[in-house]
Amino acid sequence: MLHRTLAALSLAVGLTSCTTDTPPGHAGTPGDPFVIGMSQSNLGEPWRVQMDADIRAAAETRPNLRVIFKDAQNNSLTQRAQVEEFVEQGVDLMIISPKEAAPLTGPVAAAYRRGIPVIVLDREVQGDEYTCFIGADNVRIGREAGRWIREALGGEGRIVELKGLMTSTPGRDRNQGFLEGLELDDHPDLEVIFSGEMEWLEPNARREMESALATNDVIDAVYAHNDPGAHGAWLAARATGREEEMLFVGIDALPHEGQQYVAQGILDATFLYPTGGAEAIDMALRILTGEEVPKRITLGTRIYTRENIARGGEAIE
Amino acid sequence: MTTPRGGLSPWVHSPVARALLALLLMMALGAVFSADGAFFRWSVHRDMLRQVSVYGMLACGMTVVIISAGIDLSVSSLLALAAVSFAWLTLPGAWPAFYAILVVLAAGAALGSLSGLLVARMRMQPFIVTLAMMVFARGLAKVVSGGRKITNYVTAPDGSSVVVDLPRVFHVIDSRVLGGNLSIVTIVFLVCVALTWVVLERLRLGRHIYAVGGNEEAARLSGVPVRRTLILAYALSGLFAAVAGICQAAQETQGDPETGMAYELDAIAMVVIGGTPLTGGKGSVTLTLIGVLTIGYLQKILSLNAAPEATRLMLTGAIIVCAVLFQRGK
Amino acid sequence: MAPTSPPLLSVRSARKSFGPVEVLHGVDFEVAAGEVHVLAGENGAGKSTLVNILSGVHTEYDGEVLLQGEPRRFSGPADAAHSGIATIHQELSLVPAMTVADNLFLGGEHTDRWRQVDFTRQEREARRLLEKAGLDLSPRSLVAELPVSLQQMLEIVRALAREAVVLILDEPTSALDERGAEALFRRLATLRQEGVGIVYITHRMDEIYRLADRITVLRDGHHVGTSPAGQLPPTELVSRMVGRDLAAIDRVPPTPDDEVVVRVRDLHIRHRGLPTHELVGGVSFSLRQGEILGLAGLQGSGASHVLRALFGAADGRVSGSMELSGRPHFPASPGEAIREGVILLSSHRKAQGLAPDQSVTHSVSLASLSRYVASLGWIKRGVERRAVQDVTTRLRLAAASLEAPVRTLSGGNQQKAYLARCLLTQPRVLLLDEPTRGIDIGAKTDIYTLMRAWAAEGISILLITSELDELLLLSHRILVLHRGRIVAELDGNSATKDGIMGAAMGHAEAPGGAAP
Repeated sequence: MLHRTLAALSLAVGLTSCTTDTPPGHAGTPGDPFVIGMSQSNLGEPWRVQMDADIRAAAETRPNLRVIFKDAQNNSLTQRAQVEEFVEQGVDLMIISPKEAAPLTGPVAAAYRRGIPVIVLDREVQGDEYTCFIGADNVRIGREAGRWIREALGGEGRIVELKGLMTSTPGRDRNQGFLEGLELDDHPDLEVIFSGEMEWLEPNARREMESALATNDVIDAVYAHNDPGAHGAWLAARATGREEEMLFVGIDALPHEGQQYVAQGILDATFLYPTGGAEAIDMALRILTGEEVPKRITLGTRIYTRENIARGGEAIE
Repeated sequence: MTTPRGGLSPWVHSPVARALLALLLMMALGAVFSADGAFFRWSVHRDMLRQVSVYGMLACGMTVVIISAGIDLSVSSLLALAAVSFAWLTLPGAWPAFYAILVVLAAGAALGSLSGLLVARMRMQPFIVTLAMMVFARGLAKVVSGGRKITNYVTAPDGSSVVVDLPRVFHVIDSRVLGGNLSIVTIVFLVCVALTWVVLERLRLGRHIYAVGGNEEAARLSGVPVRRTLILAYALSGLFAAVAGICQAAQETQGDPETGMAYELDAIAMVVIGGTPLTGGKGSVTLTLIGVLTIGYLQKILSLNAAPEATRLMLTGAIIVCAVLFQRGK
Repeated sequence: MAPTSPPLLSVRSARKSFGPVEVLHGVDFEVAAGEVHVLAGENGAGKSTLVNILSGVHTEYDGEVLLQGEPRRFSGPADAAHSGIATIHQELSLVPAMTVADNLFLGGEHTDRWRQVDFTRQEREARRLLEKAGLDLSPRSLVAELPVSLQQMLEIVRALAREAVVLILDEPTSALDERGAEALFRRLATLRQEGVGIVYITHRMDEIYRLADRITVLRDGHHVGTSPAGQLPPTELVSRMVGRDLAAIDRVPPTPDDEVVVRVRDLHIRHRGLPTHELVGGVSFSLRQGEILGLAGLQGSGASHVLRALFGAADGRVSGSMELSGRPHFPASPGEAIREGVILLSSHRKAQGLAPDQSVTHSVSLASLSRYVASLGWIKRGVERRAVQDVTTRLRLAAASLEAPVRTLSGGNQQKAYLARCLLTQPRVLLLDEPTRGIDIGAKTDIYTLMRAWAAEGISILLITSELDELLLLSHRILVLHRGRIVAELDGNSATKDGIMGAAMGHAEAPGGAAP
């Protein structure tokens, strides 16, 4: 009972502040475009640079949208301040790729309650006070990678896994999905013979791969949790002249990175970890024009191999 | 009660002997945890030497600066800046390797001397100056690279993207000689060690660096040009960081503005484990070479045995403390 | 008159080794209540080692320590201090950035029940202690702002803040001027009357005979003997300490040549921060070739500032004129001064002279490296080594090896290494600020002889020393400074200690002095 009263109260407060504080929305025409605020958790990672680039590219095709980009530089409090600034500025819609859930749940919910639609990208916030979540599924991508390697090796072979940070969710998910995809129980001749942590860093991946090569005479495939890792592994193998004897598979498939490695014949396959940037702009426009959108959108992946890279990869839905 | 020490004592008292003993203990550890005999293959040692070379180059410059009673936190960022600049000049810029190397080395030395200038002339603390330089150079690296990795996938003048061949210099630096038994970067590292040794042990500049680090006022009253000495010490550190950056770029086949994060801490650890104290005026690059190898073997042994990251961090921390205690003869 | 009361603190057959080297070979020593017991001996004789055993610094030794008849083995300096043994070491151990009160209770802070420092109580206590010691000092003043002599007194007040049974002082006057030393002696007299046992280490003959009830002499770690002060004449004491008779030094100095090497006219040095404050206020003098010119003065007389200005290391803004062999001499840096043939030996050997970890060779050659380098700064090490070997032999510097770090040398040999550095620059003018501070008599005599020889070779020497005997012994002429001005010029042959002291303390009737 008390909860309901509080909720009603806060809704009322939200509504009043909506009418008093927030300036009236924009018309959504080229002369008076919708303003979208985008808060990125950091631009140190190339993948996040790509996310901003995808959003920018998608927004440029729509003259009735204007996007303000902000970079929180891996600082939750900075990001929180950015969310609050967007509210004060009176943006029509907010996109946020949060650094972490707990410290940003409150600010996002506050903005949402004041009537600003919020699209949450990649990492989640707690509760359900946001408009729409768009994200990819690392377990699933890992599973696809595992299945592809299993099938490419014909169900038997010796595999090296180069893991990202196992204390991070993507690291754990890409590992778990991969092992599921290999179906080791049904394929006794399939074996993960070396598993090293490379902290997402290329030089470390090269170091780990050198150890794997030193301790194993036969390696049939290398699975790295990201493309730079797979590239580092390839450099290590090439240094010993063994790069032809094994498959190299990575994840992320950034246009300038993983896709290029496949095009140059360095990697055999890479799986897209979609940024959701284009989808976010799609959803934003639908929300702003009053359409209903699903609360949660899970993105599919794409596989890029030497055969299909020229065609722009192949979607796995 | 005092007990006279045994005949070994003068030998054990020499810092080089202690550092060597620590290295031998580390190698003994490798022999025990040999990962099915992999530790006994030369290729493993060769790879360790390659892997540790870039850190070692930074440690050479760090040794010089630490002996001058300073510290240089900016080496990792200068490395990234050099890597990015080198990739930018040679890949999209298509400069000849010789000029690109020259420009990058000059830039590294120049930024190093800027740190030195602030330390020597403005009397700012080395920690703060080089911390500022660390942040600044990392930012500059991102500006030069546009925040992306610079690879051989370049944008042509007409706006389309094309893949260019990696210049030969990348392959040369990341290749091996002596029948594939020694990496070029390791040779570059050893050249850096030799250069540092000559500067510290044979040149007047080296004497001045020791004197300034040991007692700055005394050095000044002995006619040592303290400012010039400090500027040159930091310039040398910047130069070695630039060398390391070029090697890093060649090995990664790209210029990554994020590369080398926290390498400065590894470099400092290598210097300290060798037995050069942070207080200045004391130590040598020979000790640093041994320190570099000790940490290199530690990492290699942990990697060969696929030790989890958490274990590695804990062991590395413990070994730094043990090595320093051992150096003090406790 | 040997005291009859039982010893407060005694040690029996003390032995101590560092590594394989035994430095104390079974020494007996004791101090009784109300006694000043002087511990004498050259540097390296084992005095400091013995004191370190008594004060709990060394915990590993052979032998027995008895405190008021009870065998004790201190676990560390804190244990000894709690047991009533107060020690004042040669180096000051105050924290400059803290106040007088904070320093007095450092490590033994008065706290309230929340374990917070009770500053009011500390201040009250500090005021009481300072009053008792006769020091007119605010507990709130910063130690860094106090003159060295007051710091030294504070050090003693701190040592005595706890009830002390025995007070050990290791060369307490080395950083004090005559006035400061005077105050210290008065304080010691009071303590002695109160029944405190005092162990006193010093190199100064006048202090020994002024203070000592008994004198114990150590030599090379052996106990040479203990005698009542009245029964040990100075000549006997010296020969006990050095184990040989000192070559007597002729007091009549040779006549210097007439050529003026340094001429200073109306030299003013103004404080950089406070331009109205003059460190040196109009000093004029000339120094002839081969002359030893003594500069006398108490702390703050400005003599050191004059030397530093001539060396290009001025402590303030310099005006007036300085000439070297008739040419203007305004060195911008010590390096420039050295190239001109002028070099300074600073009175602070540790802070401004030597780096402890550098080898003897590197320490000695540092100021004259330019003589041993080929192109690109490559050091010709053979030439360097020969030059260092040559100069250290001439100075009779004793070191295990010229590659050994200077910190392994005794104080006297460190000082010789520092002098060797100056000499190796082949100077025309030597600026010596306290060249014999804290070194033993044997080394002092060596240095006196050398200074005479250098002057005879034509080197001009400006000498500052707080030991008047030394000044009188060596100087051809003596200038007395008081508050930045020359108040007297005295002839080396006819000057007396009283005359110098009178002028230095600012007495207008000083002979030959232009009253300020």
